[in-house]
Order: sequence, then C-alpha cells, then structure tokens
Amino acid sequence: MRRISTFGIVGKFIVALITVVIFQGILSLKFKAFSYFDLPLICSVYYGFTMGRPIASVGIGSALGLMQDSLSGAILGTNGFSKTLIGFLAAVAGSKFNVDQPITRVFALFLFTLGDGLLVTILGLMVNSTSSTPFGGAFGGWLLSATLNTLLGLGLFGYYDRWSNATT
Amino acid sequence: MSRTVDTSKRSVWIALGVAMIIHTGLISFQASRRINTSFIRVWMVDSLAPVEKLVDRTLHGVTHVWENYFALVGLHRENEGLKAEVDELRMQLEKQHEDILESQRLRKLLSIQESGIGKTIVARVIGRDPARTNQTVTIDKGVSHGVKPDSAVMTPQGIVGRVIHSSNFFSIVQLVLDSQSGVGVMHQSTRRQGIVKGTGGQELELDYIDDDNDLKEGDVFITSGLDRIYPKGLPVGTISLIGPRRGLFKAVQVRPAADLGRLEEVICILDHPDAVDVIDPTQESPVP
Repeated sequence: MRRISTFGIVGKFIVALITVVIFQGILSLKFKAFSYFDLPLICSVYYGFTMGRPIASVGIGSALGLMQDSLSGAILGTNGFSKTLIGFLAAVAGSKFNVDQPITRVFALFLFTLGDGLLVTILGLMVNSTSSTPFGGAFGGWLLSATLNTLLGLGLFGYYDRWSNATT
Repeated sequence: MSRTVDTSKRSVWIALGVAMIIHTGLISFQASRRINTSFIRVWMVDSLAPVEKLVDRTLHGVTHVWENYFALVGLHRENEGLKAEVDELRMQLEKQHEDILESQRLRKLLSIQESGIGKTIVARVIGRDPARTNQTVTIDKGVSHGVKPDSAVMTPQGIVGRVIHSSNFFSIVQLVLDSQSGVGVMHQSTRRQGIVKGTGGQELELDYIDDDNDLKEGDVFITSGLDRIYPKGLPVGTISLIGPRRGLFKAVQVRPAADLGRLEEVICILDHPDAVDVIDPTQESPVP
C-alpha cells in the first residue's frame, strides 16, 4: 500500500515537472516576452523552500535542468548543474530563513535568477557552446529577466500556498 | 516560518555531489567529444517533444473553438432571431477562412519546395527554447523524416536557422538570432560578401564585409552559400541601422527577413547545398 502511495507521489512530481518544462516551451513560442521568464527555476525554488527535503530538491532541480537542456539545444548539463545547485540552496535557505515572507521570496527569486543566468553563461563559455551569452550578453536582459521572474514567482508562490492550504 | 532541515546529513551532501558530478561529466564529455552523449538528448527529446506537440495541438484546438464559438456567444445572444443553422454556417465559414489562410501559407511553402532548392519537408514549430539562454525552436520532424544536424530551415520570407540536434521524430533549430549563429551572406546588389551573426536579441549584426562604405539602410542581404549550410540566394534580411565604425567595420544591424517571432510552419532543406544553387532573384539583372 505504501509502495503504491510512494509511486503515486513520485508520478505526480514527474508529471508536474514535465508540465512545467513543456509549458515554458509552449508559452515562449506563443508569447515572445515569456522567454524572459523561467518557470523551471521558479519551480525549483518553490519546492526547495516548501518541501524541507534537500535530496528531493536536488533531484527536482536536476531533472528540470536536464529537461530544459534537452529541449533547448544547450549543452546537456549546464542548466542541470545550475538548477541542482539552486534547488539545494533553496532547501538550505528554507531551513535558515523565514521563506514565507514575501520580502525573503523576492530576494531569493531575484538572486537565484541572476545566479542561474550567470552560471549557465559561464558554463556555456567554458565549453564554447551554443548556450552562451543570453540576450547578447546584456546584463540589462538578466536584470529584466530577474525582475519579471520574481514578480511571476511571487504570484505563483502565493497561489500555490493558498492551493496547498486548501487541499490539506 | 523556517523548516528544520538537517543539511549536515551525509546523504544530502552525497546526493548533491552525485548530481553535480553527473552534470559536470555530461558537460565535459560533450566539450571533449570523447564520449557520444547525444543518445541522452535523443531519448529526452523523443520523450518530451510528443507531449509538447500534444499540448500545442490541444491549445490550438481550444483557441480555435474559443475564437469560433465562445467569442460569438455574445453576438448570438444579441441576434436571438437568427437560426442555429446560420450560426453553424458561420462557424464553418470561420473554419474555412482559417483553412484558406493555412492553405495559403502551405502553398507558399510548396512553391518554395518546387523552386529548385532541392528536397525539402514542411515542419510545424511546436515549442521554443525553455531555457531562455538560447534562441531555438523545436520542430516536429526528425531523422526519420530526413532532417539532420546542419539542415537549413527557412520560411517563404527568408532563412530561419539551422538544425543543431535531431532525434528520431523531432529536431531543435538554432535561429539565426542566436548569439552563436553565423550565416555567410552577400549584398544583393553589389554582391559583396560578409557574415551575419546573431546577437541574441531581435536583430542580426553584419561583420567581415569586404567594403562597407556604400551600405545604406534598406539594403538587402541574401545567403552566399559559402557556409555550406544555406543554399545560395535565400533572403536573410535588410539593413535596419548603420552605426559608427567599430574597428575595421561599421556597426550594421540587419533585420531578419523571416518573422522569427511568429513561426508556425517552416521548411527544412534536406539536400546538402553542395548540389544546390537556388534561383538568385538578382542574377538576371545585377546592379553594378
């Protein structure tokens, strides 16, 4: 019985993660401005904050990053590396700080988005791949992306909180 | 409220270490090309892209129903006297209108297929780069359809990019806008050759042109065919801005001929351009 329940939870997570990556790709195609957002990153941070399980957060970040790399044409592992680290750091932050406060979430989302962009770019440049310099290397692009991602993340976090409170 | 997480547990650090080693290994294998890791991408794309295609088609269907039915509900209420058959006919008309537009687009694509480029295939764009670091799109044609890495991709308006990864049924196309993209081009009237590079933004950048003194805004660039990817003579874009000289060359921005923000169907050129020389629109009346 317990095994079925574990499979069910893992299955739900897998479906949720695939959905996030697929929707990121489709929404970016339908709305050009959506490419500034990063749903998988928001998802990694949220699970890191709320699950209280660093190993699961590492796994989630890793899987999301690898799926992003596969569908984006980037060198496999660049986003995986970055999202793994972000998932872990989010889990650590969740244990050290009060991540239910909007101000903490704002700082975390903003810094994690900037860090993700920086790390993926550095890794891309190190292997001289096609996954370098987002938005022509413009730092302004990163800032815009971080700001938009923070706003979206803040809204989604609030929605998820209400939804999970209602269902528990 | 902070959660109590014991990050000092050895298992946490082992999990992090293992994940990091796997990703670092993947990156280094690809960088050194010692071990072929493309099977991982092929497997992932073949697993994820069908879901992406399904969601895309579902959204397309829902949008169609919304635009052709629900959006007309208000109108229907205002016109209560109209018979149900009229509504149905209107819906059919709308659908036919969509079909006509689609067939017009496909006809254009077909005309290109028959224009001497060689063997081509029409593909549907089903997704865009989910990692925001690249300018790529996913198309629903892969190795089993003859699409392989370095296949050129275009629309009737101009070139779109080249295939960088192919799985059995899907491919990832690097757009010309990508910062790592480069295309060999030729000035349409003077026939001077250069390279157009992606900037990662919405415009391209012209570089390494023989002589940039007489360039002016609105000048058209076509592919030169020298990059061995794009057949000669395909529209690339027009000069949108000429800035001050930077080093040896002027800063010249080129606006892509194809509308890369609204890609729906694209053409993949399957033949290698060695055997291909497209009809050059300026060949008959070159301007000296």
